[in-house]
Amino acid sequence: MKVKWLINAVVMGCSGSVFANTGPIISGPDVSVVLDGFYQDGQRAFSHRDEGFGLGHTELGLTGSVDDKFRGVLTGIFESHHGSTEIELEEAFIETLALPAGLKIKAGRFLSEFGYLNSKHTHEDAFTERPGVYRALLGSHYFDDGIQVSALLPTEFYLAVSAEAFSGKKMDAGFDDPATVGVVAGKIETGSDIGDSNSWMLGLSVLRNGNGHMQFGEHDHDHSEHEHGGHDHSSHDHGEHNHGPAYTGRMLYGADLTWKWAPQGNYKYQNLRFTAEYLYLDDLYDERFSSLDGAPSSLSGFYGAFVYQFNPNWSVSSRYSQFDHMSNHDVHGHGDHAHGHFVDEQLKEIDFAIAWHSSHFGVVRAQVSQQDYLDKRDNIVSLQYIMTFGAHGAHAF
Amino acid sequence: MLFNLTRLTGWLLALLSLPAHALTIFACQPDWASLAKVHAPEAEVFSATTAFQDPHFIQARPSLINKMRQADLVICSGAELEVGWLPELQRQSRNAKVSPGGEGLFFTTDYVAVLDKHDHVDRSMGDVHAGGNPHVQFAVADMINISQALSEKLQQLDPKRAAQYLQAGEAFRQRWAAKMLIWKNKALSLKGKKVVGYHATYRYLFAWLGMTQVADLEPKPGVSPTTAHLTQLAKLDPGNIYAIVYASHQNSQAAKWLAGRTQLPMIVLAQSVGGNEQSYDLITLIDNSINLLLAKH
Repeated sequence: MKVKWLINAVVMGCSGSVFANTGPIISGPDVSVVLDGFYQDGQRAFSHRDEGFGLGHTELGLTGSVDDKFRGVLTGIFESHHGSTEIELEEAFIETLALPAGLKIKAGRFLSEFGYLNSKHTHEDAFTERPGVYRALLGSHYFDDGIQVSALLPTEFYLAVSAEAFSGKKMDAGFDDPATVGVVAGKIETGSDIGDSNSWMLGLSVLRNGNGHMQFGEHDHDHSEHEHGGHDHSSHDHGEHNHGPAYTGRMLYGADLTWKWAPQGNYKYQNLRFTAEYLYLDDLYDERFSSLDGAPSSLSGFYGAFVYQFNPNWSVSSRYSQFDHMSNHDVHGHGDHAHGHFVDEQLKEIDFAIAWHSSHFGVVRAQVSQQDYLDKRDNIVSLQYIMTFGAHGAHAF
Repeated sequence: MLFNLTRLTGWLLALLSLPAHALTIFACQPDWASLAKVHAPEAEVFSATTAFQDPHFIQARPSLINKMRQADLVICSGAELEVGWLPELQRQSRNAKVSPGGEGLFFTTDYVAVLDKHDHVDRSMGDVHAGGNPHVQFAVADMINISQALSEKLQQLDPKRAAQYLQAGEAFRQRWAAKMLIWKNKALSLKGKKVVGYHATYRYLFAWLGMTQVADLEPKPGVSPTTAHLTQLAKLDPGNIYAIVYASHQNSQAAKWLAGRTQLPMIVLAQSVGGNEQSYDLITLIDNSINLLLAKH
């Protein structure tokens, strides 16, 4: 009996090892790493990239098929901030692979489809930081826990629509009893080619933030300081700094246009990319604050960026961006009315960057930014590398 | 009102009920579009790229997403040639038929005795594909195998036209086999010739003709030519080398620089079908490539 068991074990062992050597191997998940380090001699408004040496968006990503119906994505972010390392889960979602009628459902934590830049990982960007209006209204990139349904419509031309519902906690203006589904968003997108050399894409986005009305604290809080952010997050932040937007409102609208050109559509040697986006934030606060002196009814901003890759290893980029907003001066609620006043502010930025691409997987970038803000002009020089290893997912348009 | 409703319903039905059309085929390269047209003359065939585009660097743009959405069959080279854009198109087009594991996805490298496979690939080696050289539009001997497999795939996807696909495939293979004899004879004098190439684009053609690419303008696969590397190449003995060969979509600077230094002739071949006027299908692509290789000055 014992001998038989032993023989069985040996046979099993052999067949096992034979299988391991020659049988089909289920490939593990794709692992990708993005290393992002920088040095800069200043800090931009609404940014959490500190002055000096720092680590930007250091990503560790895992991607794989769950089965023939689902795919899973997990992306963790490591960032240095004020001397400590912060870990954040940027993406943890599943998406369907085989729904009929051009449908796809995504659930978990993911980047909202709002706008053009938002759904992209920052390592794809041509600048060290996103434009001011993105930093102020979306916290550079808005990701949250929720669900998304999207569809590619059966039209002759490209027409994609998506609808999202999120917890909205990242965009909560500081309500004591926030709505459970704080944010709902929608996007419609189209695009096409003009000849072999030109391609374009146009998108319209809308985002409704149920917890978006800005809060400025009540009268018993100390508001002697001049504040530049819109709201008071102290009740929810517990002393940590916040990656969410500095300004919120009930409605955020966006329009984006992307144009890409390469001679005969050959992107290897030369190409030019242009993107412009306009963001409009409306319905900012309740009547108590909207009736105060200098209270704007909406905020808006835009940017336009060119990236010109003139050979396989070098590219230059330039961007102009503007964000029209307000600062609050001693604004606080007082029961059914409010005190204080607002003052119009404008952030203007001009960025120039030159990047050396060591290959498709490595970039070293030098960037100069001129920032006009609060009656001051700052020139900020940044040096940055972004290198990736492991699996490297295909990029969207 | 009722009339309108009936009309509207009729309209919707007309929109939804698709005509019994032949297959819609999305090809990643013009070579496979050309092959598809020969094997399925009634199909609607679209090529995602042209011979003047580097197939590694294609944008996953809206027009391609929409074309892939409509495809019954996607024909690509595979072996990671399209890894920078095909997965994104598959994901965004939401077309399970042509996604990994789908029955409408066809990689030609699956039917080729692929050269230069690597057990271990590291990015420090350059843009090396572990699955081997993917530029199989020039895998002359394997085209018979690709045709056979494609013909079977078409029959499987569209059984109603099975006889037609069977016949078209057989006719192509007969023509191709006859051409192979002609090409081999014609190109006898090319046997043993050594060339300087640009990327391993013509690896299969050279191997089939008995030629060798002894040096590459790229210091490493996918890495653009550098002055230091070209200076090294300029030390090659020109007496030993037949020509510098590069493709229609590649930058001519490096080849011209080296040609200036070494007095070696340059030959520009089509990368794919459509790369020059004479190469309008797979047969004429090989015809023309051999002619150009023979006609060096």
